[in-house]
Amino acid sequence: MTTATTPVIETGGLGKRYGRTTALADCTLHVPAGRIVGLVGPNGAGKSTLLGLTCGVIAPTTGSIKVLGNRPGGSAAQLAKVGFVAQDAPVYRGLSVADHLRLGARLNPRWDQPLAERRVKRLGLDPAQKAGGLSGGQRAQLALTVAAAKRAELLILDEPVASLDPLARHAFLRDLLDFVAELGVSVVLSSHLLGDLEQVCDHLIVLAAGRVQLAGDVDDLLAVHHRVAGALPTGAERIHEDVVRSDAVLPGAQPVDLEDLGMAYMTRAAVASIGGAA
Amino acid sequence: MIWLTWRQFRTQALVVAAALAAIAIYLVYLGSRIRDDYASVLGCQPSDCATARHAFDESYTGPLSIVGLLLIAVPAVIGIFWGAPLIARELEERTDRLVWNQSVTRTRWLATKLVLLTLAGAAVTGLFSLLLTWNASRYDQFIGDRFGAVNFASRNVVPLGYAAFAFVLGTVVGLVARRTLVAMALTLAVFAIVQLLVPTVVREHLMAPVTTTVAFDEDAMSRSDAFGINDRGATIVGYTMAGTWSLTDDAKVLNADGTPYTLQQAKACEKGSQAENTACMAGQNLHFSYTYQPAGRYWPFQWIELSAYLGVTLLLAAFGFWWIRHRSS
Repeated sequence: MTTATTPVIETGGLGKRYGRTTALADCTLHVPAGRIVGLVGPNGAGKSTLLGLTCGVIAPTTGSIKVLGNRPGGSAAQLAKVGFVAQDAPVYRGLSVADHLRLGARLNPRWDQPLAERRVKRLGLDPAQKAGGLSGGQRAQLALTVAAAKRAELLILDEPVASLDPLARHAFLRDLLDFVAELGVSVVLSSHLLGDLEQVCDHLIVLAAGRVQLAGDVDDLLAVHHRVAGALPTGAERIHEDVVRSDAVLPGAQPVDLEDLGMAYMTRAAVASIGGAA
Repeated sequence: MIWLTWRQFRTQALVVAAALAAIAIYLVYLGSRIRDDYASVLGCQPSDCATARHAFDESYTGPLSIVGLLLIAVPAVIGIFWGAPLIARELEERTDRLVWNQSVTRTRWLATKLVLLTLAGAAVTGLFSLLLTWNASRYDQFIGDRFGAVNFASRNVVPLGYAAFAFVLGTVVGLVARRTLVAMALTLAVFAIVQLLVPTVVREHLMAPVTTTVAFDEDAMSRSDAFGINDRGATIVGYTMAGTWSLTDDAKVLNADGTPYTLQQAKACEKGSQAENTACMAGQNLHFSYTYQPAGRYWPFQWIELSAYLGVTLLLAAFGFWWIRHRSS
């Protein structure tokens, strides 16, 4: 039974190796319910691996993961609770838009047909159109519609806007915000660009080099990070250049925005990995 | 799941149904011709009978062999074009990410697809086999080579086993190989090897053969291809007892006391005409050893082979379920 206090994602020491390649290591997270989580990291940081582990298409090598209190992908009931749109929003090229809705209706007990039809209508998709003939943006919207009308408690979107032009990105994210509010679902969406997520997410996870660099609610993170020019104040930790972390209020410090914050952590990880290699 | 299975499968189903309908029309036509001709062979005037029989054999051995080979190819086609792409194409186009994240477990997804499409494949092959078996029944009765490699594999129940095996083989190979073309090629290769090895190496060992002693007489001579003799002894080549599966290519012809038949003995029988010679030799009380599968084992062989194929199919399916649950990601 999922309650409002059940964390959406809870992992402990989670790791995934492919042969000798470590895709994700020592990942410990606690994501409360009701958040829109931005998962940010450079290409190859392990974002897709973490999302695959969360919806259960990938099994962990080490550690534990619970999604909405259960093992991911373990049962039909668990699958019904998690909606997933994979990278590049795969759809059946030979099936029409209407066929995709019928697929959703046949395979999901909590399917919301009015919602699906409403979305298709508002997006201006022709139900008879074959999915193979849709544009990248339309395909992403169709995949999102199928995932949303499933009425899951958690929606996972892997790089949903990567293939969209800036205008479509903006429309996609605004539309996402609208129906997240309408459905009351938790959302995890990933991107290699923090700028995409900044406007929508209220919880941030920064992933780099297969490890979690930073995780928490956006407001909390902004409250403890500052921009300080010059010497490092006592009790503060320098992340990268003038971005520092300090729980205490620092006189004269400037606030930091989310994009700079994420960039500081990703840069620090990149520098450390170069330093480690040298 | 049933709807989705049908929706993704209906084009292939229509293609196969159309092909089957065309074959069925031809087979019904061929079947009625065989029946008419057979009636005239039975009602032949004694003087023309040999010619009538020969003509009957000549006219239908070709067409029936071709249709038989076609039926043997049907399971291969099912394995390659239905089985191999079933999962491989989903993995290639990444739609597994879509469909395996609906509220249906992979196990149920695979179970539905496997059961429905295996049944469809078996139904198509079974229908074809039923038509051909009916079609060729007079011919088989007349020629009596029911254990022949092509004849055995293209009649009655064994084609059902081949179809189920080929389809599940293709599916599982596709699941593991993850590439449609690779899976199609591998399926063809494996299926072809199995279909070559089973009739040539495996089938005859499914039941222990029977060895008996056959008297060398006119009847034995008429059921063999050749008889040869030299100073080391005499050999009968290609003898086949009516309706049986001969496992003896050639056998030494022996005297009643087990000693080889000699040239001198044969000389004693050089009378004049071939018929007289043979009658004389038959009077010399000769025999040879014959190893075979009796005619009455035709159905046990059909059932054993069907069961063996279905058993292997189940093992393959079990492996597929294990793989899709634990290894496929």
